Amino acid sequence: MGQDLVNAISLGSIYLLFALGMSLAWGSIGILNFAHGSIFMFSAYVAYLILGHVRLGIFAVLAIGAAVGAAMSVAIEVLAFEPILRRAKDHRTAEMQILIAGIGIASIPLAIAQKQTKSNPFGLSDSSFQVHTYAFAGIRITNVQIIVVVAAIVLGGGIAWWLHTSRNGLALRSIGVDSEVSSMMGVDRRRLALLTMLIAGALAGLSGILLTYQLGAITPESGDSLILKAFAAIILGGVGSIIGVVVGSYVLAIAETIVLTQTSGLWVDAVSFGLILVVLLFKTEGLFGHKEVRRT
Amino acid sequence: MTGQRRRNVLRGVAVLLSAGVALGLSACSSGSSSSSSGGTSGGLPKQIKVVAVEPQTGPAAFAGLAALKGYDVAINEINTSKYLGDSTIVLDKKDTAGSAQTAASEVSSAVADKNTTAIFGSVSSNEAVAQSPIAQKTKVPIIFTQAGSQGVVIGGYTFRCTPPMATYYTKMTDFTKPKGYKTVGVVYAAWSPTLNEIATKTLSSMGLNVVASVGTQQTTQDFSAPISQVLAKKPDVVSILLVGASNPTAMKQLRQAGYAGPVLGNSGASAGNLKPAGADGAGMVWAVDYSALNKSPSSEKFIAEYQKKFPGETPLNYAAEGYDAAWWLARALKDGNGAAHDVVQQNLAKVASTGFTGAMGDLKFEGNDLRLPGVLIQWDGTKEVLLPST
Repeated sequence: MGQDLVNAISLGSIYLLFALGMSLAWGSIGILNFAHGSIFMFSAYVAYLILGHVRLGIFAVLAIGAAVGAAMSVAIEVLAFEPILRRAKDHRTAEMQILIAGIGIASIPLAIAQKQTKSNPFGLSDSSFQVHTYAFAGIRITNVQIIVVVAAIVLGGGIAWWLHTSRNGLALRSIGVDSEVSSMMGVDRRRLALLTMLIAGALAGLSGILLTYQLGAITPESGDSLILKAFAAIILGGVGSIIGVVVGSYVLAIAETIVLTQTSGLWVDAVSFGLILVVLLFKTEGLFGHKEVRRT
Repeated sequence: MTGQRRRNVLRGVAVLLSAGVALGLSACSSGSSSSSSGGTSGGLPKQIKVVAVEPQTGPAAFAGLAALKGYDVAINEINTSKYLGDSTIVLDKKDTAGSAQTAASEVSSAVADKNTTAIFGSVSSNEAVAQSPIAQKTKVPIIFTQAGSQGVVIGGYTFRCTPPMATYYTKMTDFTKPKGYKTVGVVYAAWSPTLNEIATKTLSSMGLNVVASVGTQQTTQDFSAPISQVLAKKPDVVSILLVGASNPTAMKQLRQAGYAGPVLGNSGASAGNLKPAGADGAGMVWAVDYSALNKSPSSEKFIAEYQKKFPGETPLNYAAEGYDAAWWLARALKDGNGAAHDVVQQNLAKVASTGFTGAMGDLKFEGNDLRLPGVLIQWDGTKEVLLPST
C-alpha cells in the first residue's frame, strides 16, 4: 500500500511536470501547444548528445534541458504561432490553426531524433549523477523520485503564486480574461506571450531531463504518449487553473495506480479516462475551472 | 474580389500547386523501371523487382533496419556471384514508419505494380497482419521475418523466415530448470501479440506457475507499479517481456525495487536496447533464433559476407533472418526459372519442404513457417553472452 502510494505520487509528479508548461500556455495566452511533447523529448536528446562529449552533473544537465526547451518554444512562437495569430480573424479560429500547426511542428524534432537514434532508446547514463535507492519501512524510493516530486510541487506552487501575486503574472491573467482590453490597459501581449512560451518550454525541457533520469531511457516517441495524459490532467483540473492541473495530475496518477493494483494493467487508460468523463458530466469546467469564459 | 482576398486566394493556390508538384515528384521517384517483370511466363527477367516494406522509423526500426541490411548482403552476394545467371534482384525499400495503415498501403502499391515479383513483409506483427491478407488475396508471394503472431502466415502465398517466438522460447527451460525455478511473475506488453502469447501461454507450458501477471499498454512508460505488483507475490524469478526502450526502464526499476536475480526477457531487449540500463540491465536472459556469437560454419560465412558490406559491425538476428529470407527467394527463383507469382510461390514452398542451410544453420520448415531450436543469450551489463546449450 505504501509503495503503491509512493509510485502514484511519483507518477503524478511526472504528469504534473509535463502538463505544467502546456497548462500555463493554454490557460493564459490561449495556445494549446501540441509540440510540447517534442520539445520535452528533444531537450533530453540534446542533453544526451552533449553528455557523449562531456561528463556533467544533474544541475548542468537540467540547465541544458531548460535552455533547449525554452529556445525551441520561443522559436515556435515567433516563427509559427505569432504569424497564425496575426492572420486569423479571431482567437477561436487561431486556436484550431495553432493546434494543427503544433502537431505538424512536432514531427520535425521527432523525425530528426528518429533518424539519428534509429528509434533506439537513449538515456543520460553518461552523466556523473548516480541514482540511489533508499529503503525504509518496506518502502523503496530513489533520489530521482524525490527530486521529481519536490520539483513538481515547488514548480507547480511557484507558478501558481507567480500568476497570482507578481505584476507579470497578473498581466498574463488579464490577457486570458480579455486580450484586447488588457492591451488598452498597457499590457504588452507579445512580450508576455514570449515570456510564457519561454517558461513553458523550459518546463518541458526540465521534465524531459527528469523523466529520462527516472526511466533510465526514452525514445523519440516518448513525448507523444505523455501529451494525452497531460491533456487529460488539464481538462480534469480545469483549463486555466494551475492548482487544477496539480490536482488533475495526481488524481489521474492515483486512479491509474488503483486500477493497476485491482485489475489487469489493460484497464488503466479505459478506467482513468472514464473517471474524467464522469467528472466532466457533472462539472463541465473541470474540478477547479470557472463557469464563465475566463482562462485564469 | 478585394485585393486582400485575391492575395489570399493566390497564396492558397500556390500552396496547393507546390504540394501537388511535391507529391508528383515523389511518386515519379518511387516508380519502377520497366525492365523487370513479376508476370513473365518463363525464364527470369533481367531485373527482378522485390519490394521490402519495413519499419525504418518508429519503435520497431531497430529490427526493420537490421532486416534490410540482411536483404542487402544476400542480394549483393546473389547478384555478384551470378547465382541467377544474368538476372539480378533489385530491392525497393519502403518505410512503414511504424504504422499498420502505412504498411498496408505500401503493400497495396507493391501488389498493384505488375513488375513486383515478391515482397518482404514487415518485422512488426501489428503491421504484418495488415499486409498479409493483401498479398494473399492478390496472390503475390510475401516473405516475413520476425512478425511471429497469429494471422501472418495465412495462406499459400505467405511465408515466414523466422520461427514464431513461442516455438523456440521453451529453450529457456535450459536455464530455468537447472536453477529450480517453480514460480514466475511477469510484466508484459499486452499490446504485442507475440509477447502476449509468451506471457499467457508459453511460460506456463514451460512448467512455471505464473503467480503474478501484469499486462501493460503501449503508452506505459513507468513500470514501477506493475513491478511492485509482481514482486508482492514473491516469485522465484521475474519475467520482463517488453519492447525496445521499455526494457532498460523496467530493468532499472526492477533493480530499484530490490530484485537482484535473473530476469527472463525476450529478443526485444537485443540490439543494444539494454545499454541505457547500465549495470542494472545485467542478468536478463532470452532465447533467440540466431546469434552472431554462434560459431557454426554457416554463421561465420554469413558474418564474413556481412562485414564486407558493413565493416566492423556484428550482425543482429534480424539481419540473419533477412539474409536467409532473401536466399530462400533466390533458390525459389532459380529452381522455378521464372518470376511469375505462382511459379515463385510454388518453388518457395518446394524449397521449404526440403529445407536449406542458411546463416541461421540448417533451416527446417513447418509448412511455410521456419522452425529452429534457438539459443540462449544473457546480457552481462555491457554485452551479450551466449549461454551453453544443454
